Amino acid sequence: MSVPSEYFVALSAVLFGLGAVGVVTRRSAILVFLSIEMMLNAANLAIVAFARQWTVTGGVHALEGQGAVFIVLAVAAAEVAVGLGILVAIFRHRVTTDVDQLAEVRA
Amino acid sequence: MIWFLIVAALALAGGVLVVTARQPVHAALGLVGTLLAVAVMYVMLDAHFLAAIQVIVYAGAVMVLFLFVIMLLNVEQQPPTTRWRWLRPTAWGLGLLGAVAVAGTVLSQRRPVPDQAAVDAVLQGGDAERIGTVLFSEYLLAFHLVAVLLLTGVVAAVSLVQRDGEDRERPAVAAFEEDPGMRASEPA
Repeated sequence: MSVPSEYFVALSAVLFGLGAVGVVTRRSAILVFLSIEMMLNAANLAIVAFARQWTVTGGVHALEGQGAVFIVLAVAAAEVAVGLGILVAIFRHRVTTDVDQLAEVRA
Repeated sequence: MIWFLIVAALALAGGVLVVTARQPVHAALGLVGTLLAVAVMYVMLDAHFLAAIQVIVYAGAVMVLFLFVIMLLNVEQQPPTTRWRWLRPTAWGLGLLGAVAVAGTVLSQRRPVPDQAAVDAVLQGGDAERIGTVLFSEYLLAFHLVAVLLLTGVVAAVSLVQRDGEDRERPAVAAFEEDPGMRASEPA
């Protein structure tokens, strides 16, 4: 018997919340970045769960949800490449990745 | 169902490790655990191609990149910040409250469980052929834009990490090792 989709969405919500806590509490920019990746994955899990639930109402386009997740994965890969490049560039200039010490960018 | 609970526990354990681990490498390995658990979830949701992509691209390539950068930058363990002492408990409280609220709302709104036969008929296991058909029909424009985005990302990453001509001989890390007082002079 298949698992109800609500459980997947609930797990996704908890993972997203954990990632949000990590973004706020972590001091190293790399660990903030790791938490963002976890939030992205939680969102993807919810989309895939919704795609499967769509078949209940006879949605013949339910696969489009999985296609969307594929696009999100590709965008996330590009984001990681650029984000880590920015981190390395910042570390070269400032010798730190502590977001508290990099706070002068604020308005 | 029992397998779902086991894998969900693994995913949450990895997530807690990401948020609480003192060593950055441990946090990265926790995220690897979460990503692999999510890949298993994709299999349970009949998204087999996405599960393979998740393991290869995310748990493989992206996490290797993360570990490389963590070891390259040699991120030191940082004590909790002395300013904003209220931040950590507040973030945990609000974050978990929000997560539990959403999860509780979702769990109280029961929907019919998808019939496996109907799921198989529509998704067909989410194999690569079907996903490819969707990507090259409904998502054709998005697919091309993602290609442009990836190219832009590669160019941007290379140009960001490239050094300027003059400080090629004296990178910032070497300068830091010669002059440990540099950090103290930084504005706090």
